[in-house]
Amino acid sequence: MSDLVCVGVVSGAFGVRGEVRIKSFCANPEDIESYSPLSNEDGSKSYPLVLTRQVKNGFTAILGGIETKEDADAIKGVKLYARRDQLPSLPDDEYYHSDLIGLEVFDTGGALLGQVKDVMNHGAGDLLEIHGQGLKDTVLLPFTLEAVPTVDLGTGRIIADPPDGLF
Amino acid sequence: MSRSVWKGPFVDAYVLKKAEAARESSRNEVIKIWSRRSTILPQFVGLTFGVYNGKKHIPVNVSEDMIGQKFGEYAPTRTYYGHAADKKAKRK
Repeated sequence: MSDLVCVGVVSGAFGVRGEVRIKSFCANPEDIESYSPLSNEDGSKSYPLVLTRQVKNGFTAILGGIETKEDADAIKGVKLYARRDQLPSLPDDEYYHSDLIGLEVFDTGGALLGQVKDVMNHGAGDLLEIHGQGLKDTVLLPFTLEAVPTVDLGTGRIIADPPDGLF
Repeated sequence: MSRSVWKGPFVDAYVLKKAEAARESSRNEVIKIWSRRSTILPQFVGLTFGVYNGKKHIPVNVSEDMIGQKFGEYAPTRTYYGHAADKKAKRK
């Protein structure tokens, strides 16, 4: 489980007074402001963030330490990260995608099935996309109590009881 | 123009057969279907269908609010990987 979670990206400068355009990857796009201050990928720089207005495909914002248009141009493409502990805690049986991605999936007999590559939802419930060495293609596993009885974030393991015909 | 009511909902016959067989066997299995055009009927609630999207079968757990929709609506044919960020998944 990574300590930093990517929540947005700087897509360029906005105006000539050091404002930037940002794209938010949050489920509720405005929530990116609540995770301020954000950092860059290696955590070496911290950017306090204040949203100023909504524009096409994102927001404009004032980032701490970015005073001029040249500064804003220089950080174009920088991904913005929040610390994992800044995300609010969730009720039982609810998980952040970023926590699930990368977990190892074992069957009820203890055999390794693969790793969670992505979490998706096409309208009929959440699905775990599992990528394993012995698999030709990724497998989609319904994220239900029946099919996934145990999720152990501490040890990074998921125990799955997949329905017949999936693997 | 919408479908005439007197015709009833369209479902491929093999989907009905497979669903009936699965319900009788009461085994926990994914019913693989290729018929994206079939309407979801009340008797499918609780079953899991693997709906073909042109590449693989996407598991679709049928619930009550899906009745009347088509299977294809729940198995998109194009892939898009977004960012995880603070998105949540709920185990039901």
